Amino acid sequence: MGNLLTAIDLRAYYKTVQGEEIKAVDEVSLEVREGEVLGIAGESGCGKSTLASVLAFTVIPPLYVVSGEVRANGTNILTLDKETLRREIKGKYISIVPQGAMNSLNPTSRIKNFVIDVLKEHFPEMSKEEALQRARERFEALSLPPRILDAYPHQLSGGMKQRTVTVISTLLNPKVLIADEPTSALDVSSQKIVIKLLVELLRKQIIKSVVFITHELPLLRHFANRIAVMYAGKIVEVGPMESIIFEPLHPYSKLLISSVLVPESGMKSKRIEAIPGVPPNLKDPPTGCRFHPRCPSYIEGICNTSVPPFITVKSDHIVSCFLYGGEHG
Amino acid sequence: MKDILILLFRSKRFIVGFVLFLGILSFALIGPILNPKNPFQMVGGLFSPPSDRFILGTDNLGRDVFTQLMYGTRTSLLIGCTAGLIATTIGVTIGSIAGYKGGIIEEVLMGITNVFITIPSIVILILLSIAIKARSAVVMGLVIGITAWPWTARAVRAQTSSLKTREHIDIARITGFSSLEMIIYEILPYMFSYIFMAFILQFSGGILNEATLSMLGLGPFQTVSLGVMLHWSLLWEAVRTGAWWAFIPPVICLSMTTFSLMSMNTGMDEVFNPRLRRS
Amino acid sequence: MKNPFARYILQKISWYILAFFVAVSLNFILPRLIPGNPVSVIVNQMATGGVQSDVLERLYSTYMKEFGLDKPLYIQYFNYLRNIFRWNLGTSFMLYPGKVKDLIGRALPWTISLQVPAILSGWIIGNLLGAFSAYKGGKFDSVAFTLSLVFSNIPYYCLAIVFLYLLAVRFGLFPVGGGYSFGMVPTLSLRFIMNALYHYILPYLSMVLVAIGGQAIGMREMSLYELTSDYVNYAKNLGIRDERIIRYVFRNAMLPQITGLAISFGTMMGGALVTESVFSYPGVGSLLFTAIRQNDYPLIQGCTLIITVAVLTANFLVEIAYGFIDPRIRAVQLGER
Repeated sequence: MGNLLTAIDLRAYYKTVQGEEIKAVDEVSLEVREGEVLGIAGESGCGKSTLASVLAFTVIPPLYVVSGEVRANGTNILTLDKETLRREIKGKYISIVPQGAMNSLNPTSRIKNFVIDVLKEHFPEMSKEEALQRARERFEALSLPPRILDAYPHQLSGGMKQRTVTVISTLLNPKVLIADEPTSALDVSSQKIVIKLLVELLRKQIIKSVVFITHELPLLRHFANRIAVMYAGKIVEVGPMESIIFEPLHPYSKLLISSVLVPESGMKSKRIEAIPGVPPNLKDPPTGCRFHPRCPSYIEGICNTSVPPFITVKSDHIVSCFLYGGEHG
Repeated sequence: MKDILILLFRSKRFIVGFVLFLGILSFALIGPILNPKNPFQMVGGLFSPPSDRFILGTDNLGRDVFTQLMYGTRTSLLIGCTAGLIATTIGVTIGSIAGYKGGIIEEVLMGITNVFITIPSIVILILLSIAIKARSAVVMGLVIGITAWPWTARAVRAQTSSLKTREHIDIARITGFSSLEMIIYEILPYMFSYIFMAFILQFSGGILNEATLSMLGLGPFQTVSLGVMLHWSLLWEAVRTGAWWAFIPPVICLSMTTFSLMSMNTGMDEVFNPRLRRS
Repeated sequence: MKNPFARYILQKISWYILAFFVAVSLNFILPRLIPGNPVSVIVNQMATGGVQSDVLERLYSTYMKEFGLDKPLYIQYFNYLRNIFRWNLGTSFMLYPGKVKDLIGRALPWTISLQVPAILSGWIIGNLLGAFSAYKGGKFDSVAFTLSLVFSNIPYYCLAIVFLYLLAVRFGLFPVGGGYSFGMVPTLSLRFIMNALYHYILPYLSMVLVAIGGQAIGMREMSLYELTSDYVNYAKNLGIRDERIIRYVFRNAMLPQITGLAISFGTMMGGALVTESVFSYPGVGSLLFTAIRQNDYPLIQGCTLIITVAVLTANFLVEIAYGFIDPRIRAVQLGER
């Protein structure tokens, strides 16, 4: 199985009115494999949503991509012109379930009108009836009542709106679906339904892979194949889900996992710890390893002077930390 | 506070409005001191064009237009300011009480407000002005002020309602403040910039309402205002006889004053509502 | 009630009836605050003007009867209400024995045909300009926005005076006032209509430019707000082209502007009345101007009443239309879920 999306050395900065740069995504490399659910986890403000918008080409000022590539089918999509991107990529190859789907639908228009617009935009020869028929079938196939199409957004509950947005995002059968905290505003049972829907979309081969961005690690436990942990604009560790959750390597990952209550076997006895300190200001991130001011295993003269390289510690499990230098690797 | 001022003076629109307004203000306040003439005194011929003696000529009764303009601008500013203060005070009081108290009090107060928004204020202004025979500039400002508050009340209510749900309000409420104390110490300070903007809007609206009323013949008694000057021009056919010096100066003064106020308001809006700012 | 939309309309109707009664009551009560008996004040004024005493006597008895000033206040009020509903607005002082309703009836068509097109076209053009300006940004936005700011802050009548002086008096391009040429008789002939249109241009222009400026500023602000909203970003992310997104934005930013249209009818009224008197346009504004100068209370009251009714009617129609158009409003009003 190949990679659907490969990010190489991505840097995306916010530029403030005062002319400062906020380095929200810095030197990030990551691949999205066919058929997988890739979870991206981290505290709020770590740059994971920014990474999502870069991967989904939804970069709007004051955010700018400074350098790096995003490759799909061998081409760097970041260099494509706006029109090609709109016609070939958006919604078709990569689609997004935005953060806060509550306001993602035009409040004054029935949902079917938007659905027809989406389909007709990419299939101009399709008639309105055909488009509507296709949407209705898709809604039914994913066990959503097709009468939603006749409703206005405000007539739907939060969970229903989130599912509707998810279905609309995947109408064009995109290869990669980027879900940016799709469940953070929902109650637990609605969360489960939305995740079920994502699994269903994968099973039915409507989409090929999901990038699921969340600050709630336990959610990933249920359906992610791999997890990338992000801290202060950088990825610190990537590996298979089981390996990350049960045997995290990076000190930050360890703290992140022990800080959340995971009511699963083997985790019960663990003490719940909060991570001391606060996430750094990304205007002026710490030198060396960005986690060093909060790190319990901090080594003076190493961690604060140079950036730790990625090291493969276990199979398919890489980490960026000096603890796993010479003696382990 | 200092930060706000620095931000404000980074807005080009605010600076333009502020400087223009200062100019008009000093013309209206300092002018009459340096040049203490009676604007009602007949000093020259009828409608004589600008000359060395009368830099803006004379009006239909041989009175000096430049002197009238200074006093007229002063009166218009006085009326506008009075109206603005009164409208803002009533509007903020009603709006903040309605927004903070909620429930039946809010419904009643907003019901009254909405009735007076629906009825065109010019009608009430005309009727009130006719009923009040001795209209001084201050009385006129008062009359305009008590018809203009509903917009401010509506806006302040909305702001208060959204402020009310903030955390610090809950904390203060637990400490046992009365409603009045809550509004004065915990709500209004957070709306200071907003209230000031409302005042500027009302100030400008007051000047315009004065001009409208005066042009209809319901201006202040025994004083000259910009509207009164325009009323005279209309009454004595200055426009059709081509005596431009009698009406162009008040037109310019009036437009510049309202423009300067609105420009300040827009500048403040851009500073306080970053969503309207463009990068 | 079964039909929720009917309930919405009924609610609005009762609201406007309330506003109407408040306005009518103010119309009744405020002129009665004038110190002294207005009838004797007027009659005395006329006496010094050398009117014969038997005429004065007749005048006095006519007005005393019409106002019912010898009766208690509440009876006066009910008489007043009854007269309004019978469309009996009394007799003019200055044009005795001319009826107020006839004077207003002659002036009203001029006012309506001047103001309604000016407000509506100013509203439409202003909204298009504002939305385009917000979308375009850059130089166009900054020029259009500044011009709108300048025009919207010139009071109508100031622009009217400048236009009248420059374009009519100075350069003689347009007539110096009136609704039609002196000596013409209003008919439906082509010649008269062309003549009336010629007189129409300047008053119309001086109102519409200011209206465009004001609406453009409001629409620009609304559109900027909508352009940064989540649904716009989402639509972009699904590859919807800009032209279509602008249509969403325009539609949504437009809805609050409909309320703005209703407000315009009320707020533009004062300036519009004065504009009419600047051009001596034969409408309600000029009538009011003369009535105020002559202390013609019945006529003033008639004018303020008709202005109130006109503005309330316009507001009501706009609100009903709004309820039809915006599903959000309807949902709130109807409790739809």
